[in-house]
Amino acid sequence: MTGAELVLKVLQQHGIKHIFGYPGGAIMPIYDALYDSDVEHFLCRHEQGAAFSAIGYARSTGKVGVCMATSGPGATNLVTGLADAMMDSVPVVAITGQVFSSLIGTDAFQEMDVLGMSLSITKQSFLVQSLDELADILHQAFEVAQSGRPGPVLVDIPKDIQVGSVDFEPYPIAQKQVPDFDAQVLADAQALIKAANKPLFYIGGGVGMADAIDEMQDLLAKTKIPAISTLKALGTVPADYPYNLGLVGMHGNQAANHAVQDCDLLICTGARFDDRVTGKLDTFAPNAKVIHLDIDPAEISKLRQADISILADFKKLLPELAVTTEISPWQQQVAELKTQYAWRYDYPGDSIYAPKLLNLLSQKLPFDHAVSCDVGQHQMWVAQHMLFSSPRNHLSSGGAGTMGFGLPAAIGVQVARPDCMSVVVSGDGSFMMNVQELGTIRRFKLPVKIVLLDNQRLGMVKQWQELFFEERYSETNLSDNPDFVTLAKAFDIPALTISQDDQIEDGINQLINTDGPFLLHVQIDDKENVWPLVPPGKANHDMLEGEKV
Amino acid sequence: MTHTIKLKANSRPEVMERILRVVRHRGFNLEEVLMKQCQTTNSTKITLKVSGDRPISNLETQLNKLYDVSQLELHQSTATADSAVAMNA
Ligand SMILES: Cc1ncc(C[n+]2csc(CCOP(=O)(O)OP(=O)(O)O)c2C)c(N)n1
Ligand SMILES: [Mg+2]
Repeated sequence: MTGAELVLKVLQQHGIKHIFGYPGGAIMPIYDALYDSDVEHFLCRHEQGAAFSAIGYARSTGKVGVCMATSGPGATNLVTGLADAMMDSVPVVAITGQVFSSLIGTDAFQEMDVLGMSLSITKQSFLVQSLDELADILHQAFEVAQSGRPGPVLVDIPKDIQVGSVDFEPYPIAQKQVPDFDAQVLADAQALIKAANKPLFYIGGGVGMADAIDEMQDLLAKTKIPAISTLKALGTVPADYPYNLGLVGMHGNQAANHAVQDCDLLICTGARFDDRVTGKLDTFAPNAKVIHLDIDPAEISKLRQADISILADFKKLLPELAVTTEISPWQQQVAELKTQYAWRYDYPGDSIYAPKLLNLLSQKLPFDHAVSCDVGQHQMWVAQHMLFSSPRNHLSSGGAGTMGFGLPAAIGVQVARPDCMSVVVSGDGSFMMNVQELGTIRRFKLPVKIVLLDNQRLGMVKQWQELFFEERYSETNLSDNPDFVTLAKAFDIPALTISQDDQIEDGINQLINTDGPFLLHVQIDDKENVWPLVPPGKANHDMLEGEKV
Repeated sequence: MTHTIKLKANSRPEVMERILRVVRHRGFNLEEVLMKQCQTTNSTKITLKVSGDRPISNLETQLNKLYDVSQLELHQSTATADSAVAMNA
């Protein structure tokens, strides 16, 4: 068979049925092989869309997402998506075509040093140098993408290798290796948890990535220790867990931020002390000892010194931490904080309050749904006001904060989980960054539900200009947005604009009940801000609380 | 502080770039490099002398998690002239 056929064979060996991509000169042999293959290819309308769809596919299932592009500009268009996957530890394999080996280094047409570009945005990358190593490299790519802390891997394949002929040899797929943890360290951790008066789980995306949600929920049920979540962890702690404090950090719940400042033991579980979580680092959880649990040694004591650290597969480790605790005053304090700072939606007024709409949407969606969002104020409102039953149902570009993430991610979700209601909540700025993917929705008749929160502004930047730049609104006005309903209709997507509070219910019903895709265009007040907010450089207990406009 | 790190890595053409990128990005200066290909084991041996104020353990773990790095040893850490002055001040 040819190298190109081999590529598809290896993908199938790893269970890959769907890939996202865009063809071009240097990857034509692989596209030619695809023509006869059982692997289903989803043609996106921009390689960045393909990368984000692969991320959506991976994040909503826990499987590897695969994207493909040609050399040069095709590959550079993947770069932002791979960087996003790197920062959120998403297992993605990207395959790029490269010019003939003999032309590499001659500035040939569409020849770029993709391997060089990949170094800082992938977990690992390969430029295939001979047909002999092609299969082996592809297998390694899948292994590396999923093992330990997951991440993106790029394989750049010169055209001569795609067209060369080679024998296919089945390859034994290696089992994941799990590091073993030290019994003494475990005992020390258990003792520290037992002794703590105010222990707090600080849960990150690592729990979901380790497929250890059941184990985490079990551990919470047994220990009754309160929990705070990062953006990527939302959905890990059951919504009805009485000590679930929800999102921590810059736009976190007041209750979560006060609790973390007061705890005496912080059990960091697959999180990484990101600055959006900690605020001013040396004021974060000032009275707490730290137990850091992770799979990546480089995260331990990177930003906050750990008193005890354990590197482990959470599926094995978490059940071991179920010690009995005597912390009722602390539990009571947490319950009171929750009541004191509960969200409220009962504001008077005719205009649409986005948090209220999102909260209602969350209640009305069918059980099997996933929400992808973009980046900005609407993203924070999704995190604050929607409830999730698993982190696989909340896809938000966390580490990178990449506008344009939402729509293609929701496409990836819909392809991976055809029976799931895949919803994207986008902003008027972000939506336009990958709006071409409406073409992908149309082509594959994907029933993606789009909620577009339109404040005619780059709202999050505008909010910072208002608060920290003396209301100097430099380049954040989008009041010349296109007519989004007409835009949707150009792609055969039914759409509706709402702008009044009493239209919310009907709007949501139409969104959910219309067969196929739908765009709900929601006009909201440009002055509405995201509260609370920890100003940059401040401690988490110094939150600003604003007024609803 | 100045630190000497010895590494064994897969012999890929880009492996040196990969390692040096991490050194720079994680906040260290490169003072000296020694690199040798070993044809029989298909590996590369690299000795780096780096300096910087950040904890060297952060660089060690970042280098160690590179897929192409198979062994890493921190050989010696010494206070550099500058930081020695700073520490005495
Ligand atoms: C690719 C990219 N460019 C710029 C930014 C900076 N940025 C963060 S939020 C934001 C505004 C987003 O506007 P919109 O999508 O309308 O959301 P809103 O905040 O109004 O809800 C910008 C420009 C970013 N995060 N990503
Ligand atoms: Mg906006």
